[in-house]
Amino acid sequence: MIDITSLLEEIKKAPYKELTVFTPHSGRIEFALKEAGTTVHGASGVWNEKPGTLLAYLTREGNRKPVYAPEKGELVMFHDIDDHQFVQAGTPLLKIRHFLTKQEVIDIILKKALHLFLAPEKGRYYFVSAIDTKLKAKGLGHVNIRQGDEVLIISRMKRETVLVYDGPGGIIYTTYFNSSDSVEVGSPLLGVCPNNQVEEIKEVVARIQSGWEEKQ
Amino acid sequence: MKRNKVLIANRGEIALRIMQACLDLDVEFTCVYTREDSNSEHCTEALKKGGEKALYRISSYQDPNELFAVADASGCTAVHPGYGFFAEDFRFARRVEQRSKKLSFIGPSWKVIQELGDKINTKRLARKLEVPTVPGSDKPIFDDLEAEELASSLFSFQKEMGVEQPVILVKASAGGGGMGIEEVGDLDRFRTVLRRIKSYARRQFRDEGVLIEQRIFDFNHLEVQILGDHHGGVVHFGTRNCTVQSSGRQKRIEVAPGFDPENISYAFDASRVLSDITEYSLRMAREVGYDSVGTWEWIISPTGHPFLMEVNTRIQVENGVSAIISRIRGHEVNLIREQIRVGLGSRLGYQQKDIVFKGMGIEYRILAEDPDNNFIPWVGRIENFSWPDHPWLRMYTHVPVNRPYDIPTEFDPNLALGIVWGENLDQAKRRGKMFLDKLVLEGFNPSGEPLKSNVDFLRRNTDKLLVF
Repeated sequence: MIDITSLLEEIKKAPYKELTVFTPHSGRIEFALKEAGTTVHGASGVWNEKPGTLLAYLTREGNRKPVYAPEKGELVMFHDIDDHQFVQAGTPLLKIRHFLTKQEVIDIILKKALHLFLAPEKGRYYFVSAIDTKLKAKGLGHVNIRQGDEVLIISRMKRETVLVYDGPGGIIYTTYFNSSDSVEVGSPLLGVCPNNQVEEIKEVVARIQSGWEEKQ
Repeated sequence: MKRNKVLIANRGEIALRIMQACLDLDVEFTCVYTREDSNSEHCTEALKKGGEKALYRISSYQDPNELFAVADASGCTAVHPGYGFFAEDFRFARRVEQRSKKLSFIGPSWKVIQELGDKINTKRLARKLEVPTVPGSDKPIFDDLEAEELASSLFSFQKEMGVEQPVILVKASAGGGGMGIEEVGDLDRFRTVLRRIKSYARRQFRDEGVLIEQRIFDFNHLEVQILGDHHGGVVHFGTRNCTVQSSGRQKRIEVAPGFDPENISYAFDASRVLSDITEYSLRMAREVGYDSVGTWEWIISPTGHPFLMEVNTRIQVENGVSAIISRIRGHEVNLIREQIRVGLGSRLGYQQKDIVFKGMGIEYRILAEDPDNNFIPWVGRIENFSWPDHPWLRMYTHVPVNRPYDIPTEFDPNLALGIVWGENLDQAKRRGKMFLDKLVLEGFNPSGEPLKSNVDFLRRNTDKLLVF
């Protein structure tokens, strides 16, 4: 099992991450916040239904779309863009310094503790319908897979191929992909927990819950 | 013409060809690209030939609002959709022409796209005009019981016609280009395939309607290239044969004209078939007032019976193979240029008698894929890509030849189109093989395995082109 204490210590040495907010699409930008040092918050609520702090509006074809802060933190830097300027998709707008949350720390540590099933190729991934149905009915942490099971479909260039799971049997503890996004080769798709380690993983999660103090 | 500026709402080689056609016509252009395409030659060329203001990054080629925002920001007056994406979306075409800041849509009018772009409407129109169509459904089916009933009747019909092993096709009605089609030989398997196609169609097209048709075996796949203007002029640019396809029914080689009756023996009157499908296509084009480039796709049975499959209301990938054998007043035709010209309101300016066909053309679609393993796309980095130039060769590609190129996985896997011309089929085939022999296409995937391409497949299939 992994050494949780030293991993936590390592994370505590650099408990921030800097997030760059990019324009999601082209359009005219209108900033709602203009000063570095401002504190912002991310989406919240059970279903993330409460948006984060409004950063800017981006208007295209008469459609004014709000750009919200994706995470809580502090605005540390604005890129050199004028208000009402037409910006292209993917233009960097500003940077947020974000203190890692408990959940993010858990995710970092789980990536080291679980067996990761990695994307063998770049593409979009979907669960095969049998697994998808089980996950929808039972949820993460309750669906078992074994070596050789058909688990995922890889879609690239409109061609779909069934992907067989290669790794130790266990439960699908977490997923790392979104079917609408392309996954890079080598990126984790699934975090699988061998059945005999479920209790240990739960203990890891509990230790982080109590051992990590969230800050703004 | 000169006061126009065209938004090229597409990517890759078609964006490059539209760009070149605009330059030929002295029309300004604006290109777009997404993150995955930042290393494509269409971006490099847009900057080189149009300057910094000629290239905009967008989040998706499929976001109309964004395309319109770029069109307005860059002062465009027209939109060329290329092929795929919005090319056959009548709602998009209608919006282009009806939004508050109106633009010209370089394609058929939206009403024509609505009427012909839908496989179902096309079939109904064809039947009304006594144009033969493939037996099967003439509307998308969403209900499993209805689908099963039709499948069962098509199996019975084929048995009555003496077909020993009847087969039907299940197609995603919103699909196209050979995607989302499977064949089935019995009702039990039909149920499984129906579920699979519906699920695929829901994921890929967000529409789970299916079409069910009789599978016609050992057919040839022919096309008729049509061009009309907004003033009632309609002409054709001959036929193409697109029978050489991958196992997933993706075209790999196209030949123009569609048969070679002077040099190859057919079990039917091939000249008559070519003339019949051309006449049928023109009949439908005139009926709907077809006003751009368009392709009528045909299945020709081994006994020489044609069945209309569908109409593609767009410029097609293979337009160049028709163009290379077509001359108007002695000049080689560029169908994309013609499409832009008529799309911006010009008259054709010529009649059918002014179009002369000369020689044979072969188009090779060059892809990184594994033909021996169900044509699975190969994904990785192209390190070397080159070919010798010839006066009889047109090469269209968005793959850079002076730097490595990572093949994006988000789009169709076409890398390049090599179109060769010959005085006759023999010469065209010889030149085709010479082109393929000298083509260099090398690279590696992330595991260090060498690039797999379809070049050998193309070479192998060259000898039997147009033999039926």
